[in-house]
Amino acid sequence: MTDIAELLETAGLTGRGGAAFSTAIKIKAAKENGAELIVNACDGEIGAAKDAWIVEHHLHELIEGAALVASGKRPRISYAAHRGSRTAELIARAGLPLLEVPHRYVSSEETSLISLAHGGLAKPMTKRAPFVFGGRDSQGRRVSPTVVLNAETVWRISQINRLGAEWFRSFGTTAEPGPRLVWVGGHVARPGMCEAAAGVSLSDLLDFAGGLPADARHVGVGGLGGVVITAADARTTIWDTPSMKQLGGALGPGIVTVWNPAECPVETAARLISYGAGESAGQCGPCMFGLPALAADWADLARNPTSKGRQHLKLRLSQLERRGACAHPDGVARFAQSALRTLAPEFAAHANHSCQKVRTPKARTAHAQFA
Amino acid sequence: MSGSALWYLSRATGVVTIVLLTIVVCLGVITAGRRRPRGESATIVMGLHRWLSLGMLVFLGIHIVTAILDGYVSISWLAVLVPFTSGYETLLVGLGTIALDLLVVVMVTSYLRHRIPERRWRFVHWASYAMWVVALFHGFLMGTADQAGLRAVTLACAAVGGLMACWRVVATHSDKERRKLIDAQEWS
Repeated sequence: MTDIAELLETAGLTGRGGAAFSTAIKIKAAKENGAELIVNACDGEIGAAKDAWIVEHHLHELIEGAALVASGKRPRISYAAHRGSRTAELIARAGLPLLEVPHRYVSSEETSLISLAHGGLAKPMTKRAPFVFGGRDSQGRRVSPTVVLNAETVWRISQINRLGAEWFRSFGTTAEPGPRLVWVGGHVARPGMCEAAAGVSLSDLLDFAGGLPADARHVGVGGLGGVVITAADARTTIWDTPSMKQLGGALGPGIVTVWNPAECPVETAARLISYGAGESAGQCGPCMFGLPALAADWADLARNPTSKGRQHLKLRLSQLERRGACAHPDGVARFAQSALRTLAPEFAAHANHSCQKVRTPKARTAHAQFA
Repeated sequence: MSGSALWYLSRATGVVTIVLLTIVVCLGVITAGRRRPRGESATIVMGLHRWLSLGMLVFLGIHIVTAILDGYVSISWLAVLVPFTSGYETLLVGLGTIALDLLVVVMVTSYLRHRIPERRWRFVHWASYAMWVVALFHGFLMGTADQAGLRAVTLACAAVGGLMACWRVVATHSDKERRKLIDAQEWS
């Protein structure tokens, strides 16, 4: 039997939850420490749907993949999904151990799931070292070795095990091999799951969902932890890390969302930032105070776009960088940074009162808009 | 050095120790709450808290050693660490011993703080309040109660420290309130 970690290393599989860390290294550590496995099927990012899609269509392969990762005679595996979601229902119906996660943005973060699985709250923990080695929560209680893998990552493991590393490497680029699921949604004709790979163009991805509508102005890549780019950029950009990095983003958890052009994009961004601020777990100052302050600054700037306000917002963003125990403030700040850059013409329109777009209907939530 | 000189030295250093201890406790109270000082002043307060506690050890050391070396009353070396073993004023010297034992525990855990879970360190550090109260009683009842000036110093220490402790209990902070608000949401 080939060692699964070696096979995955040859294949070059990286975490599909967005962090893109080497799965081989993670699994090796998990096996060495006898870590329990949590399969993250939460689709925690705004606009994500791939975990649900895998549970819906490839549950058997998911179970197979989890069994390959889990170690020991009595492997401990659980499947995390948002409470009340269809994914949770499907997992429970299949008789699999379900970890019910509250419907909160930061609750599906890796360390939140570990905390929840060990009887704590679904709030992120400080990673002094990866929890695959075991660690302690903020109260100093011991946390046994636990590894969290995204549902797509686990599904890919079973595929690589069956079809081989060469098959896997026949997709994508040399640096970022393998097929990747992308949910293309928002203001498109046919929202849907696209089986893509790094290196395709964003317009190819959008064509899958019926193409970028002529009236579309902005495209979000990667949800709230991602970036927003102009439709013009979306037509020319390649979907791989080097290209996305130039726009301040990354491949992320496979989400492309065309923003509704009927709504003022400054308002759309404001709503997302406010949502992010409301999702702070209230543990780190820069997150629990910084994000609401950022949301307030953004709202001020939308009302009254002065260069002073812009400077103030930029200062605020710089104060959020790498300041939280989890990446939540970083993610929201990154998004706000890209929105500030991309929406410069819209802010200018606000300055001379020429923005005619409708204001946000109150009933809509961030999730409803981006699903 | 004559016996009476040692005796005076022991009392003097004892009083200085209780004053320094009170200052250290007050500085600790200031940094312990959420409403702690920020930026440079936080560094100064923390630095003073740590270094004054070290400086206090010098006076405490002289206080203990001179009390034992002074042959007028019998206090054994054992009584330094084991409470209620002193021949002289068994109870009151014992209080001092308890305070010293607590001090040792608090200081040792503080120097090993980076190796101890924060929660344990904090739990042990709470003993500082007990240590301070015990030390005050030791000082007040034993040496300074019969001298108006020294008594005033000890009482002033008790008053200042007591007020600080009250402030610690009463003071609230936006941080605390926001945490409470967020914790009331669904998190499990």
